[in-house]
Amino acid sequence: MLETGEAARPAGWGIGAWVRLAAPALLAACLVLAAPGVIGTYLVDILVRASFVAIAAITVDILWGYSGFLTFGQSAFFGLGAYGLAIVFTGFGFSPTSVALAVTVVILASGAVALFVGWLSFYPGATPLYASVISLVLPIVLVQVLYSGGTFTGSSSGLVGFDSFDLANEDWFRVAGLGLVAVAVVAKIYLSSDAGRILSALRDNEQRCAYLGLDTSLRRILLLVVCGVVAGMAGFGYAAYGGIAAPENASFLFGTELIVMVALGGRGSLAGAVIGALAIEVASAFLSGSLPYVWELIVGIVFIAVILLLPGGLYGGVAHLVGLARRAPAGRTTRLVQAPARPRPPDAADEVVRATGVEKHFGSLTVLSGINFTARRGELVSLVGPNGAGKTTLIRCLADGRERSAGEVQIGGHPIGRLAPDRIVALGLGRKFQAASVFETLSVADCLRIARTRHERPSWFRASPVLALPPAARVVVENAGLAERLHEPARLLSHGLKQALELAMVLALEPEVVLLDEPTAGLTRVERQRFGTILTELVRHDRLCVLIIEHDLDFVREISSRIIVLHQGRIALDGTVAEVVDAPLVREIYTGHGQMAESPA
Amino acid sequence: MGTLLLDILTTAAGLFIVSSGLLIVFGVMKIINFAHGAFITVGAYAALVTYWLAVPLWLSPVIGFAAGAALGAVTEGFIVRRLYRRPLDAILATWGLSIVLGQLVTLAFGRQVQFVPSPLAGTMALLGGDYSRYRLALVPAALVIGVLFTALLNGTRLGLNTRAVILNEGLAQSLGIDSTRVRFITFAIGSGLAAAAGALITPLASVDPNMGIAWLTNAFMLVMVSGGSLLTLAVSCLVLGGLQVLASTFISPILGGLTIAVVAALALRLRPAGFARA
Repeated sequence: MLETGEAARPAGWGIGAWVRLAAPALLAACLVLAAPGVIGTYLVDILVRASFVAIAAITVDILWGYSGFLTFGQSAFFGLGAYGLAIVFTGFGFSPTSVALAVTVVILASGAVALFVGWLSFYPGATPLYASVISLVLPIVLVQVLYSGGTFTGSSSGLVGFDSFDLANEDWFRVAGLGLVAVAVVAKIYLSSDAGRILSALRDNEQRCAYLGLDTSLRRILLLVVCGVVAGMAGFGYAAYGGIAAPENASFLFGTELIVMVALGGRGSLAGAVIGALAIEVASAFLSGSLPYVWELIVGIVFIAVILLLPGGLYGGVAHLVGLARRAPAGRTTRLVQAPARPRPPDAADEVVRATGVEKHFGSLTVLSGINFTARRGELVSLVGPNGAGKTTLIRCLADGRERSAGEVQIGGHPIGRLAPDRIVALGLGRKFQAASVFETLSVADCLRIARTRHERPSWFRASPVLALPPAARVVVENAGLAERLHEPARLLSHGLKQALELAMVLALEPEVVLLDEPTAGLTRVERQRFGTILTELVRHDRLCVLIIEHDLDFVREISSRIIVLHQGRIALDGTVAEVVDAPLVREIYTGHGQMAESPA
Repeated sequence: MGTLLLDILTTAAGLFIVSSGLLIVFGVMKIINFAHGAFITVGAYAALVTYWLAVPLWLSPVIGFAAGAALGAVTEGFIVRRLYRRPLDAILATWGLSIVLGQLVTLAFGRQVQFVPSPLAGTMALLGGDYSRYRLALVPAALVIGVLFTALLNGTRLGLNTRAVILNEGLAQSLGIDSTRVRFITFAIGSGLAAAAGALITPLASVDPNMGIAWLTNAFMLVMVSGGSLLTLAVSCLVLGGLQVLASTFISPILGGLTIAVVAALALRLRPAGFARA
C-alpha cells in the first residue's frame, strides 16, 4: 500500500534505545515547564488548545498512518469528550464528584461508540473504503444529534457558561503540554514494541495477518476503542479549558482538518503528527485573522502538493534528506534461536485433512462438486489438473470456512464449520499464497516475529532482540540466506526470497498441514530443487502434511507421496505416484484436449 | 398523498442528478472524487453569473457543465492522474482541491448566501394539488442525463473503450485503447455533470461557498450503495430518497437528513460491494 512508516527499526531495547526515547521526551517536558515565562500569553492560549488537538491528531496518525485506516471520524470522539464534560458540568455544577462523573461518562461514551463503530466497520472481509465511509457518517450523525438536542446539548450554539477548572493559563499550558508529551511517549513505546509492529502488518497485508492466525477485526476494534477514548479525553481537556463545547468540535470538517494536519506533518511518524497539528493550529490562529480565506487557500494548496509529492509529509521528507545515515544503524542485532519444541497432544489424530462432499458454486456455475479425500501426517499430496479444474478454489475451501457452498471439512480432526481463516489456523493449518504474500514495509525479522504471535505473546513495551523459530522455519530461513538479511525490509527481497520468507512465516506457525499454491512458479531450476528438498525433508522428518498445487509433472513425480487429479471440479484420480502419472486419463488431460498449463489456475 | 409521491419522485431525481457525475468517475476510475461537492458549488455560481449577465437561465446548466468540465480536465491532468495507484490519497487530494475551490469562490463572491430565480416559476396542478413546476422539471432532467449516458456508453466508440477500461484496464491497454485518455474524458464529463447539477439545483436552494459539501456526502453514500451502475444508482436514489422524504415528513426533518447516510451505511454492511450485481 503506502510506503510510509519506519521500515526497519533497531531491534532490542538496550540502554541506547531508552536514552533515544527519554532524551527528547525530557527535553520536551522541560520546554513545556519553562515556556510560559518566555512566550506571550496569546501564544500560551493557542498552544493549550493546539496541544489537545495534537493529542487527537496522534490518534488519527496511529489509525491512519500506522494501521492504514483512513478515518474522518476522530473528531466525533473529540466532540463526545467536549460534550460529555459540558453536559455534566452544566447539569451538576463543578465539583470533584462531577469531575469524576464527567471523566467516567466521557470514557464510557467514547469507548462504547468506538466499540459499535468498530463492530460495524471491521467485520471479516470488510473493505478499507467501507471503514472510511462509516468514519465519515459518524461525525455527521453525531452533529445532527447535537443539533436536535435542545437545551441538553445547546443545539447549534453549543454549551457555554458552565463552571470549569480554576487554573491559570500557564498551568493549563503545563497540563496540556505534559499530557501531550505523555501520550506521545506512551504511543512511541507501544508503536516501537513487538505488539505495535502488528499495526503496520495490518496496514501492509491484512489477509496475510488473518492467515497467520491473528484476529484482525478484533485488533482493529480494540485499537479504535483505545484511540477513541484518548481522542475523547483530548476533547474533554479542550472543553474544560475553553469553557465551551460546540458542534464544530465534533464535525466532519474538523475530522478532515485532523487528517490534513497529520498528512502535512507526516503520517506514520508521531513527531510528524504532533508538529503538523501544532504548526497548523498556531499558524491558523495568527494568520486567519490577517489573511482571511487566503490562509485556508494556502493550506489547501500545500495539502494537495504534499499528498502528490511527499506522501510521508514534511517530516518524512526532511527525515529522508537528513536521516540517510539511519539506514546503517550501528549494533543492530537479532539473535536467531530455536523455539522450544511443543509436544504434540497425544490424542492428536494422524488424519489432518478430511473433506466430505465439498462443493462450490458461483451462482449457477459449479466449480467443485463431490470432493471427498483425506490427507495424513507425513504425506505430501500434490493437486494437479488443468487450468480451471478448481485447485485454488479447493485450497480456499479448506482454509476459509465461509468459502464452500456445501459439504464438510475437518482440519486436525475438528470440523471447520463457517470459521474465519484465523480460527482455522488455530486448528493447525498454514496457507502459502500463490503470489508471495509478506509484509512489504516490515523487516524480515519482524515478518517472522508476527508469524510467531500465536505462540509467543509479543511485548507491549519492548522489541525483543531474540527471534525464536521452530526448527522447520529456521531451516528455511538459514538455507535461503535470509538469516543474514533479517533487518532488510521485505520489499527489497527478490521474488524467490519472498517466497522463501512466506514459507518460513507459515512454518513458524508450527502447522499440522501446509497448503501451498504453486510455490515454485517463477523460481529458477536451482531454487526449485532446493525447495523440493526442503519440502520432502519437512514431510519425512517433521511428519508434516503438505498439500501442494503444482503443474510440473516431473517435479510432482519427484516429491509426492500421493497425487490427486482434479478435472472439471471433480476428483478424477487419487493414488500413488505410480498409479496416477501413467494413467491414461492424466495423459489425456495434459496432452489431449486440455493443454499443458503454465499460467496460474 | 399525491404531494408525497411527487416529493419522493423529485427528491430522487435531484439526488440522481447530483450523484451521477460522481458515479461515472467512480465506475470508470475506481476513484472517489471528493472535489465533487466543490464542482457542484462552481456550477451553482455559474448559474448565479448567468443570472447577473442576464443570459437566459435555462442555459445555466450548459454553462455550468462547460465550467465544470474545464476544471475537471485540469484537475485530472495535474492531480488525479498521479494518484491512480493510491486511491485513498486521491480522496485526500481531491478534498484538498475542494478546500482550495471553496476559498477561491469565497474570495471572488464573498461568504453571503445568494439566490438565483427559477426559470420555471409557479406551480401546476397535478395529482390533486399544486406542485412546483421547477421541481417537476428535475424528473425529465434526470431522465435526460440517464438516457444520454446510457447512449454514450453503449452507442459510441468512446463508450465501448470506456466499458473495456471498466472491465479490464490492463487488457484494454494491451488492445491499444488509450486508457489515460478515457480516464481524462471521464473525469472531465463527471466534473461537468457535477457543475451542471449545481446549476440545476440552485433555484431550489440558496448559493453559498460551502453548499456543495452537504450534497457530497449523500452523493457519496448513494454511489457506494449503487456499486458503480447507473441503473442501481437510479434505484438507490428512489429507495433512499423515498425513505428520506418519509422520515422527514412523518418523524423529523433532522432524522430525514440522516436517513441516506445511515441506511446506506447499514446496507453496505450487509453487502460491501454495493448492489450493482443484485
